[in-house]
Amino acid sequence: MPKILLVEDNEMNRDMLSRRLTRKGYEVAIAVDGRDGVEKARAGGYDLVLMDMSLPEIDGWEATRLLREASETQTVPIIALTAHAMSGDRERALDAGCDDYDTKPIELERLLAKIQAQLNRNA
Amino acid sequence: MTRARHTAERLIPGRGSLARRQAALLRLSTGIAAAQDEAAVYRAVVSGLHDEALGYNFLGVFLLDEENGDRVLQASVGWPGVPDRWRVPHGSGVSERAIDDGTLHYTPDVTRDAQYLPSLNSGSEIDIPLQVEGRTVGVLVVESSEPHAFGDDDFEILTAAAMQAGIAVGRARLLDAERRRADEHKALLDTMRDLVGELELSRALHAVLERAVSLLGVTGGEVAIYDEDRRELVVVASEQIGKDSTGTRIRLGEGAMGAVAETLEPLIIPSYHEWLGQSAQYADVMVHSVMAAPLTIGRRLVGVIATVHADPQRVFGREDLRLLESFTPQAAIAIENARLFTAERQRAEEQKALLDTMRDLAGELELSRVLQAVLERAVTLLGVTGGEVAIFDEERGELEVVASEHIGKDSTGTRLKPGEGAMGAVAQSLEPLIIPSYHEWLGQSVQYADVMVHSVMAAPLMIGRRLVGAIATVHSDPARIFGPEDLRLLNLFAPQAAIAIENARLYSAAQRQREYFETLVSNSPVAIVTLDRDHNIVSCNPAFEKLFGYPRSEAIGRPLDSLITTEATRSEAESYTRQALDHLIHGIGRRCRKDGTLVDVEVLGVPVIVDGERVGLMGLYHDITELLTARREAEAANSAKSQFLASMSHELRTPLNAIIGYSEMVQEEVVEMGEEGLAADLQKIHTAGRHLLSLINNILDLSKIEAGKMDLFAEWFDVVEMLDQVTTTVRPLVDRNGNALVVERNGDLGRMRSDLTKIRQMLLNLLSNACKFTEQGTITLRVEREREAGRAGGETVVFAVSDTGIGMTPGQMDRLFEAFAQAEASTTSKYGGTGLGLAITKQFSHMLGGDVQVESAPGSGSTFTVRLPANLDVPPHEAVDSD
Repeated sequence: MPKILLVEDNEMNRDMLSRRLTRKGYEVAIAVDGRDGVEKARAGGYDLVLMDMSLPEIDGWEATRLLREASETQTVPIIALTAHAMSGDRERALDAGCDDYDTKPIELERLLAKIQAQLNRNA
Repeated sequence: MTRARHTAERLIPGRGSLARRQAALLRLSTGIAAAQDEAAVYRAVVSGLHDEALGYNFLGVFLLDEENGDRVLQASVGWPGVPDRWRVPHGSGVSERAIDDGTLHYTPDVTRDAQYLPSLNSGSEIDIPLQVEGRTVGVLVVESSEPHAFGDDDFEILTAAAMQAGIAVGRARLLDAERRRADEHKALLDTMRDLVGELELSRALHAVLERAVSLLGVTGGEVAIYDEDRRELVVVASEQIGKDSTGTRIRLGEGAMGAVAETLEPLIIPSYHEWLGQSAQYADVMVHSVMAAPLTIGRRLVGVIATVHADPQRVFGREDLRLLESFTPQAAIAIENARLFTAERQRAEEQKALLDTMRDLAGELELSRVLQAVLERAVTLLGVTGGEVAIFDEERGELEVVASEHIGKDSTGTRLKPGEGAMGAVAQSLEPLIIPSYHEWLGQSVQYADVMVHSVMAAPLMIGRRLVGAIATVHSDPARIFGPEDLRLLNLFAPQAAIAIENARLYSAAQRQREYFETLVSNSPVAIVTLDRDHNIVSCNPAFEKLFGYPRSEAIGRPLDSLITTEATRSEAESYTRQALDHLIHGIGRRCRKDGTLVDVEVLGVPVIVDGERVGLMGLYHDITELLTARREAEAANSAKSQFLASMSHELRTPLNAIIGYSEMVQEEVVEMGEEGLAADLQKIHTAGRHLLSLINNILDLSKIEAGKMDLFAEWFDVVEMLDQVTTTVRPLVDRNGNALVVERNGDLGRMRSDLTKIRQMLLNLLSNACKFTEQGTITLRVEREREAGRAGGETVVFAVSDTGIGMTPGQMDRLFEAFAQAEASTTSKYGGTGLGLAITKQFSHMLGGDVQVESAPGSGSTFTVRLPANLDVPPHEAVDSD
């Protein structure tokens, strides 16, 4: 069962997305801010990170950079989630080291396709 | 007239500005007018035309020698080695033609003219006849070393100069002749004085007196002359009255002779010392009885003669008186002749003095003073009672009297229509006029009904064939009338008055132009300052004083950049100033007022170039403090608005995401749990949430576009792939109203470089609109690539979305692309939507270098066509980091 770390500060989004992913057959762990996310990710054991970009403490951009710097998380797939459907965000996310990105609100089918693509790539 | 119109480029270098040329023409004109004799006129013409601002460097004036047809040089400039009085023989040189036919001749290329007399300046030549009183007397020759150097301007300037010279020469000759005549007259009178002078008069009177004494057998007698000015008698001959009374002055009524002078009746006094009327001056004479008689010409007293008896035995009787009166005409005539002679000599002296003073006037520029002085001299010289000078006002077609002298009233300011009165008559006929009896003349003006005028002589004042004014002189003495001699004298003054008027006109035109520009500058709301080449202030206008707080007196002479700058801005200001000496500069800066406060200004600097020479610069300062404040405020407000919208949309979207997400999630869960009935309601919550989200997104998009903060991101993508994504996304909407979607792909669409997200958004907008307004119909998306060069120079991709829906009227189409403008408010409630989609589509299409158009008719569907360049020309990462 693939393990996903969901880094998301908004409680409702976190609850909703984790429940939906769980129902689709993923094991979901949760981090509530950037620092928490980086710590949990570096502790290891995740197949993929879903990273909200606007986070307290350390934002998603910085967290992604830290994960890419650390050897143990260098290759873990990261999908960025941004609230703004701006054309620049995609490029920015890829530049920051993310493997893909998606916009909120989540369209579950679309996100699932992206998650599966990353997992397949790393399999 | 062979005056060729000439339009070739002007070749004379160093021509002056209009103002400098006007000033030079004024100098030329006053120089000519001030010339005191004919030779001076010629010198004034050549030196006046040889002015930097006019640019005539080679010129001369020739007079025609009428005996053999030679031209004789009078004055020249730029002809080195040419002798004074150089003679050009009849039959050679092109300038003869102007003399032959009396018109201007232009020879654009003298080397092609066989008659040309080779000189240093073998280029082009203008010859202008010099005419005096309508007769050609010489020629003004102007040369250039370049061919085709002259144009219409030159013809005008030189014709005017020759005309003024002609007038001045005519006047100089007239004045010269008059002076000679006056000199001769005076010399003649001086000689006569020696022959028949005052000595002769007293001798004549002595002789008369002696004969009277001896014939009457009296002791002695006296003759006195009446001095009209002092109203006294002066004894000039005295014989045997007991003392020499010569030189005694006697008042009217005083003594015997005074009594006779008063009554103009002869008088016999039997016993002088008992007589009550005796004079104290004669108290000591040995006189017994006296007889005196007046000496008169007509009824005019010229003197008195008296005889005396010292012997008490002798008395005067009627017979004595008759004898005495036989001598009186002789004595009276001798006195009158002497008086006339003296008066004549005096007048000759006055005339000569007057003629000499006329030249003093020539340099004077104030018109009314010149004309008044000219008039005063004319009145004196002509021996008339008074006169007037009027200027012709061309605009109103009237004469205005500007100088008036002894005509019985001050007529200054009187306006006369052509034909009105004597001056009006000559202004109309342009001929002089003599009116022997003004008040019987039919042409008299009511404005002069009350003046004490008997006869009038008037003449027009002309410059060439142009009327500039009129002059008139009057006699109030009926005994005096005007004749040809008076007219000749009047002609001495007319040209001087005419030239004075013309000069004043030129001067005031130049003055007006200067005043016009000065008014412009002084009333300008923009601060204007001029600097010399050392950056010192030469002048500044009131707006400058107001802006910076320095009064003009304080600013002038000081270096601008140390006056209105602080340490911080000095070097920047100095750099502006340096550049502005060379070329126009424009900038924004901050300057310092006298009170130390700072002011934001827009600065414009331009070099001031006079005749090709940089003499300084002009700076213009526009206070933009308010403008900047307003801009800062607007920017702050705008940024606050953007901030508000950004945070608002974020704040709105977070709960909205929960609504959308939970409704979707719960929907999935209830389906799994078998509670299908709840699923439909959950779907409604989900749809409403989606709608609200698209509204928020659109508003955010539009506000970004308005703020210029919508970024472009150009990338290469496959067109067909993009179309597949779009049609997949829009499929549920197509199905909802039972519509069919047809995608027509014409030819190979290939890849394009543009903003993928925006194109997708545009197409989704257009397709979802089509779906909304069409039921059970067909939506067609037709896409093709135009290979021929489009507007931007490259290939174009065309997306056309057609539907078979309700369509629109032309009126509805007009407002279609405006924000919040669905065709009708009612449609919003029926069809939903934000009314922002088309506005965004239009804005996006422009941002992507293309446009969007619509064709529609009510009931027959609509077609929206978006045309975009296949390769958008923006940097791939332009402004990625906004937001």
